[in-house]
Amino acid sequence: MASVTFDRINKMYDNGFHAVRDLSLNVADGEFLVLVGPSGCGKTTALRMVAGLEDISTGTMKIGDRVVNTLGPKDRDIAMVFQSYALYPHMTVGDNISYGLRIRKMDKSEIARRVKKAADMLELTPLLDRKPKQLSGGQRQRVAMGRAIVREPQVFLMDEPLSNLDAKLRVQMRAEISQVQQDLNVTTLYVTHDQIEAMTMGDRVAVLKAGVLQQLGAPQFLYDNPDNIFVAGFIGSPPMNMGLGTLGGTAEAMTLQLGSSTLPLAPELIAEKPALRTRIGSEVVVGLRSEDMEDASIRRGSDSAAVLDAEVVLTEALGSEIVVHFETDIRKLVNEDTKLLAEESGEAELGPVGHGVTKWVASFAPRSRVKPRDHVKVVVDTERLHFFDLDTTKAVYR
Amino acid sequence: MTQMDPVDNALLFDLAKDELPEEDQAAVVRLGSSKGSWFKQVGWRHLVGIVALFFAIFPILFLVSAAFNPLGTLSSSTLIPNGASFDNFRKLFNNTDFWKWLLNSILIAFVSSFLSIFISALASFALSRFRFKGRRAGLLAILLIQMFPQFLAVVAIYLMFTAISRLYPSLGFNTPWALVILYLGGAMGGSVWLIKGFFDTVPKDLDESAKVDGATHVQIYFGIILPLVTPILAVTGLLAFIGAMNEIVFASVFLTDSSSKTAAIGLYGLVSGERNNNFGVFAAGSLITAIPIVLLFQYLQRYIVGGLTAGAVKG
Repeated sequence: MASVTFDRINKMYDNGFHAVRDLSLNVADGEFLVLVGPSGCGKTTALRMVAGLEDISTGTMKIGDRVVNTLGPKDRDIAMVFQSYALYPHMTVGDNISYGLRIRKMDKSEIARRVKKAADMLELTPLLDRKPKQLSGGQRQRVAMGRAIVREPQVFLMDEPLSNLDAKLRVQMRAEISQVQQDLNVTTLYVTHDQIEAMTMGDRVAVLKAGVLQQLGAPQFLYDNPDNIFVAGFIGSPPMNMGLGTLGGTAEAMTLQLGSSTLPLAPELIAEKPALRTRIGSEVVVGLRSEDMEDASIRRGSDSAAVLDAEVVLTEALGSEIVVHFETDIRKLVNEDTKLLAEESGEAELGPVGHGVTKWVASFAPRSRVKPRDHVKVVVDTERLHFFDLDTTKAVYR
Repeated sequence: MTQMDPVDNALLFDLAKDELPEEDQAAVVRLGSSKGSWFKQVGWRHLVGIVALFFAIFPILFLVSAAFNPLGTLSSSTLIPNGASFDNFRKLFNNTDFWKWLLNSILIAFVSSFLSIFISALASFALSRFRFKGRRAGLLAILLIQMFPQFLAVVAIYLMFTAISRLYPSLGFNTPWALVILYLGGAMGGSVWLIKGFFDTVPKDLDESAKVDGATHVQIYFGIILPLVTPILAVTGLLAFIGAMNEIVFASVFLTDSSSKTAAIGLYGLVSGERNNNFGVFAAGSLITAIPIVLLFQYLQRYIVGGLTAGAVKG
């Protein structure tokens, strides 16, 4: 096992495209680190640089204590799972799995032992004599995993290994890959554009945008404390609601003007983010997760003054919760990040439905009886509000 | 299906009578009255098939007939020979160096097609997989050169080989190796484009996967890529073989000794001099020359299959 260290890694293509900028991060020994970001953000390039399939323009790449910048893929002691699986079609499953070992002239009995172990682990034993074309998508995926496992490498590299599977299989394989990684305790670098995979699988998640590392941390930390607007919008499903608001009131009793509503801010929030005090009177970007809102009519206990007026557009009953899409008079945030996120989710292609109106999404308890076209009052948990600087897009902390 | 005579169904398709719905069975009409419809659906295919068959078989039949015709003239040859004999074959074996010619042909064709495929495949691998300066220009140059007729170069090549014959007689005129070298250059053009096109269909992920698995370029080439492109190797190999067997322009310039001739020029010599005196012998020789080509085709046929890369990547 070994750690992987990126030290100010840059990748510049011949055509001048700067795919990865000054990427510095350290994947600890045995850690499962997920690189996530929208397409074209440089995450696959970063992975391929670890594999040795892509030259490193500047910077130092280390696997363990070795600098591997100039080493070929075969000398780096890594195994890679490709998005397309890349199985050798003329070889049986067994030969596919053992290919890397046979190339290295490993002892036959040792090869047999390792193949058997990997096949047992992945339940591939009955399929060892089949050819890849006789396998289903999930089975091919497992063969690709098996090929990586038998090598017993220092690092696993996985390039969107689940993106070719259907939704149900993806959930299952997600669990399997996590299980295998935990059993073997091999350092793993995993690339995906799917933030759910990133959240569920990674020990830590690195969010990339346009070749630049945005934030690195445990999935829950990223979810609770996004560093900037992009991370806030990218991590989480449904994505964080965003809008423009104005801070007001006094240093002791601050308020937030959101559209026509004035929300008193919780003292705990001010204590946690004292920098807010310096911004009284100025405009900020406000973020709020869907679960931090509740239907005012079913809320028990003291009446909260932090209420938004909303007109329900659509409800989705999921059983455990009701996802409510509503329109508000909060001013809409439109910047580079929101455009990029809209493109990534495919929203941009849908066209300007209700263009200009801010649509937020809230998750209400299933007791809520709201229907489309209802006017409802939405209680906001102001302690959970996120604030970002309008110009720098960075979170307002201290 | 509705208008087909159930009696004739068995002849056309394997449609069982009871597969037809009841009302259809009642409605079936005799073949004669539905001729137009039958012809539109099935008949025209038979007609096309028969024409194609006739087109393909006629020359062969004529050749066989001429080969076994004891008179040995074209004018006396008919499709069904009047009286068959092996006279022509006897003359061919006794009066000419035919076996030597055939052996020369096979040697030259086999060595040159094998080597040209080997070289072309290597070149195609590089052109398909690597990006280097002059790659595009090289590809276009190969294509461009291929467009000039071969015999434009005859004079230049003749002069070159005059020098070679003086310096290295074993590679010069009247040796099979001179032709092998020549055909190697000629065969590369077309086959590089064919093979490169096929290489491009093999996903690059396979190379990279093998690279990460620890394979060298050579191991990737021979172990992963070549097994997946056997169909195109078989096709181009066969084409190169046939081309070399039939080639006459260069062979007639280079090979003048009777013992060094290929079957193509040797046999051509039989009919080019005097009037069609030796056509019977010529036909007999052609018939035998066809055998190696047919055998090679039979052997290579098993490699000409599709879908070798199925299952490599999610498709």
